[in-house]
Amino acid sequence: MYHRIKQIALTSALLASVVAICLAAGEPGFIDVLDTPAKKSSLVAKAHFNGIAVAGKRLVSVGQRGYIVYSDDQGATWVQASVPVSADLTAVSFPTPGKGWAVGHDGVVLNSTDGGATWSRQLDGHSLAKIIADYYGAHPSAGPDAARLQDELQQYVDKGPDKPLLDVWFENETNGYIVGAFNLIFRTVDGGKSWEPLLDRTDNPKRFHLYGIRPVGTDLYLCGEQGLALKLDRQTGRFRALTVPYNGTLFGITGKPGALIAHGLRGNVFRSADAGTTWKKVETGIPVGIICGTVMDDGRIVLVNQAGNLLVSADNGESFSQAKVEQPFSATSVAPLGDQTVMLAGPRGMRKQTLKQ
Amino acid sequence: MAVRNDKIEDMPVVKDLKDFDQKSGNWLERLVFNSRKMVMIVCALVTLGLAWQATKLVFNASFEKMIPQSHPYIKNYLANKNELRGLGNSLRVVVENTKGDIFDPEYLEALKQINDELFLTPGVDRAWVKSLWTPAVRWTEVTEEGFQGGPVMGDDYDGSPKSMAQLKLNIARSGITGSLVANDFKSSMISVPLMETDPATGIRLDYSVLAKTLEKNIRSKQNDKIRIHIIGFAKLVGDLIDGLMQVITYFGAAALIAVIVIYLYTRCLRSTALVVLCSIIAVVWQLGIVATLGFELDPYSILVPFLVFAIGVSHGVQKMNGIMQDVGRGTHKLVAARYTFRRLFLAGMTALLADAVGFAVLMMIDIPVIRDLALTASIGVAVLIFTNLLLLPVFLSFTGVSLKAAKLTIQEENKENKGFGVGTIWVLLSRFAERRWATAAVTFSVLLAIIGFVISLNLKIGDLDPGAPELRRNSRYNKDNAYITKNYALSSDLFAIILRTPAEGCYKYQSLIEADRLASELQQVPGVQTTISLVNAVKQVTAGTYEGNPKWFTLSRNQDVLNYGGQQASVNNSDLFNGDSTVMPIIAYLSDHKAETLDRVVKVSEEFIKQHSTEDRKFMLAAGSAGIEAATNIVVKEANRTMMLYVYAAVIVLCFVTFRSWRAVVVAVLPLIVTSILCEALMVILGIGVKVATLPVIALGVGIGVDYALYLLSVQLAKQRQGETLVDAYRHAIQFTGKVVGLVGVTLAGGVVTWVFSPIKFQADMGILLTFMFIWNMVGALVLIPALSHFLLNTVKQPQHVPEHFHINAGSDAPTVDCRTCGN
Repeated sequence: MYHRIKQIALTSALLASVVAICLAAGEPGFIDVLDTPAKKSSLVAKAHFNGIAVAGKRLVSVGQRGYIVYSDDQGATWVQASVPVSADLTAVSFPTPGKGWAVGHDGVVLNSTDGGATWSRQLDGHSLAKIIADYYGAHPSAGPDAARLQDELQQYVDKGPDKPLLDVWFENETNGYIVGAFNLIFRTVDGGKSWEPLLDRTDNPKRFHLYGIRPVGTDLYLCGEQGLALKLDRQTGRFRALTVPYNGTLFGITGKPGALIAHGLRGNVFRSADAGTTWKKVETGIPVGIICGTVMDDGRIVLVNQAGNLLVSADNGESFSQAKVEQPFSATSVAPLGDQTVMLAGPRGMRKQTLKQ
Repeated sequence: MAVRNDKIEDMPVVKDLKDFDQKSGNWLERLVFNSRKMVMIVCALVTLGLAWQATKLVFNASFEKMIPQSHPYIKNYLANKNELRGLGNSLRVVVENTKGDIFDPEYLEALKQINDELFLTPGVDRAWVKSLWTPAVRWTEVTEEGFQGGPVMGDDYDGSPKSMAQLKLNIARSGITGSLVANDFKSSMISVPLMETDPATGIRLDYSVLAKTLEKNIRSKQNDKIRIHIIGFAKLVGDLIDGLMQVITYFGAAALIAVIVIYLYTRCLRSTALVVLCSIIAVVWQLGIVATLGFELDPYSILVPFLVFAIGVSHGVQKMNGIMQDVGRGTHKLVAARYTFRRLFLAGMTALLADAVGFAVLMMIDIPVIRDLALTASIGVAVLIFTNLLLLPVFLSFTGVSLKAAKLTIQEENKENKGFGVGTIWVLLSRFAERRWATAAVTFSVLLAIIGFVISLNLKIGDLDPGAPELRRNSRYNKDNAYITKNYALSSDLFAIILRTPAEGCYKYQSLIEADRLASELQQVPGVQTTISLVNAVKQVTAGTYEGNPKWFTLSRNQDVLNYGGQQASVNNSDLFNGDSTVMPIIAYLSDHKAETLDRVVKVSEEFIKQHSTEDRKFMLAAGSAGIEAATNIVVKEANRTMMLYVYAAVIVLCFVTFRSWRAVVVAVLPLIVTSILCEALMVILGIGVKVATLPVIALGVGIGVDYALYLLSVQLAKQRQGETLVDAYRHAIQFTGKVVGLVGVTLAGGVVTWVFSPIKFQADMGILLTFMFIWNMVGALVLIPALSHFLLNTVKQPQHVPEHFHINAGSDAPTVDCRTCGN
């Protein structure tokens, strides 16, 4: 189905983009979500949330309409942060207790230096497009399929800020990556002051959406649509394709050294013991999409599916069993709280769940 | 004052017709009585004609007539009504398994039969019927190859445990739990959209017929295992019309009460029959004229015949009072009839016209049913002038009255005047004109008024009960509604904001973003359970398109994605926007329809509209049951205030014209105010809010209630002006009018008290409140008028002259009577 969308999107790109830009710019009485700060909401903790991260002792979660909330009491109460945009946010990363980044639709990148209480904009779709145009204007021959890339780059500029960023990961307070739809990927080494596009450094010829970027052990992995899985080759600086025996979407990557886990549609889970060279399917028994996963402090691997089932592995991902939950809670993102509990963020807000076997 | 010759004895006793001057009396009297037979024939013909017309009366319960047509919200609603399919007209039929859950072959078979029966019911929009048995209800799943799906009820369903397991799985992946399948899996729903007009014939859907068909064909399938719950606008209207039919039968009870009251009063079968006959003729005429003018009978105007009948009876009985006394003294029946006519025609007419003031005030309320009520009631009052003021005396001139009863009347009156029998009551009441009793009565009333006022501060606007407020809480409809509300996700109180755009504008990025912003504001209002609009559907389709990834649950800035979302949404749900994508509702589901809840939603919406509505993206209030109720509440609240003001203004003017004394006006009006306050307190205690149905109560209660004061005070003042002390004057006044006051109170209350048993809640409310107003105004007048007079009217100056307009029948040789003393 997304083929169709993509086809429509690409073929009618020029016409649509002109129209879109005119509309977005000239619509009277309409204030763009990028120009509208997130509204305070009394129901904010029950809104649709997509990302959650641990910032020291604090939990920070990001979601729709620019909502960012944080909790200093393990999720008992949530405070709404002040955010300069009201675009839907998709992911958040805190490399240190103080500094964090959040990304979302319309190419939004937000930065906080006070543990998530206040946020400022580092990028949006407009500046993102400009970075791409400037960079590839200055480096015209970067990458093997440069000619085709050049065509597509123009579209990024033309279409305005319509592409979402879907994941963010910061290694420390200076180095980080953001990834998104249609093979969008950028890197910063100065805490987001400047960004370098890596669109030409992925083995992703069909420009599949990039859904996740995560380190496991010392390696950095990317995953996305149609079984796409990539691993950073530190010598060449390219993300090299891995062969996962699956053509459905992989929503995310998690795991620990020797136990690399990729999870996706309809309960599909794949495991690699050799850092991505070979993969084996792990049966979960529940044909529901698994959007997120994490590793507990005691080393157990936890996956959460869209039905709210918690799948727990105590054997490094060789097998998963379902933890008993009183009320299943569909999750898009999960953060570990010690050994026994996880904090979930999903379409109905936040919920703490305990891992009972 | 004007009552100079108020005693029957002042008219000469004429035993033989030969001694009577046929040329006496005014022109109207001569015209009517000198061609009595002609009058009878004409009346008979008119009655037949109008009775024939009355048979053609149509019953209706149109909701559009119950809403304030010119309120901006309603104008917006009516202008966009045809585009708002989702808010209109559908039935929800829930089939419950009382002995298990829906995964039961027997249950599913029963459901199938009901589904098929509904499918074939005329008026049903078959293409959009949804249930477990319709193939359009599908499950979908995102797979590696794209969307996969199928009907929830598989083609290979055979009732086996295997296919039952398959059904269970399909229901889980289709996400219909809470909408088509109950949260407890003990029932499932058949959603049945209706067509307003038959596309083949162009004939409008008859709700009453449909409701009957549903009872006959669907409800009849109920047994000890299968229970059926039906709700929806069409069913409600059908139930209301059924209720109307039932209320009509109460007319018999009202007539019976009248017969008993009149007979107890006159002890004469002949007069009883005559009074009832004339009042029924009045009702026939009223209904005939109403039908000829093209009005329909609705749950409000159905009450007019009751009022007309009651007012007719109270006038008729007054006629009887006079004629009995004449006949009792030996006057010939024709002469007695003419005397009665002389005494009472103008008086009665003035009284009837005064009643019309109450109705006229109602005309100012911008709600069609109330206007119709006011208009048809005015017609009824006009008719009474002919039937009970002209026709009744003519009838009497032929039939006369029972001589025995007439003589009894004279005896009783003598007894009363000596303070025996009913007279003891008059003696008792006249003590209220003395200091001790007056102080006690006034103090008690003030206390009562204060307590009443404190209670009445809690008076609410609008309907307070859950479910369909038109019907009783324990009606089958409301029980069905309660069951469905409890077991399914969405409430039946919908508040919709309408978004209007140029063609193809609904699923534009900006429109959807603004709609989403509005939804977000509404969701935060206490009492809003959730909101639904095209936004939800487009976000859902978008996420579905991207493998169900919740991160794609968004309004994409890419218009192609939105267009696709809109198209897909319209395939599954035609209600979210109209055909050319110019109108879409943003629907808030409310936990109740209390006025505070509606006020909060209106406030937030208005604020949003002020900031976000533009020419090309126009947000408008309101649609949905709760939206319409919000507008009605606003109008009713306003109307309640203005109407009180106008009614009291009219009453005060009327009193002043009659009494020419501000003090007397205060004495007459204060008891009414106390009653009005107590009526509001009663509403609080009974849980009745101020609503369309209670507006006429105040107008009628005060408008008709003032009559009591007019009867009593005008006689009392006249006597005082003749030099009598207050106590004597009041005793005379009450001896002369007390019976009439009591009788009017009882007959009016008897006319409306039967409504209390109506299955239509608001009619019952009106019945309770009007009965209270009529009775309590009577009591208030009898007790408070002497008491207040003690303080305000203890000394009355004798007038220099009698005001011109009180000379009734001036110039004729008949005695002059104050119009207010004998009329109703």
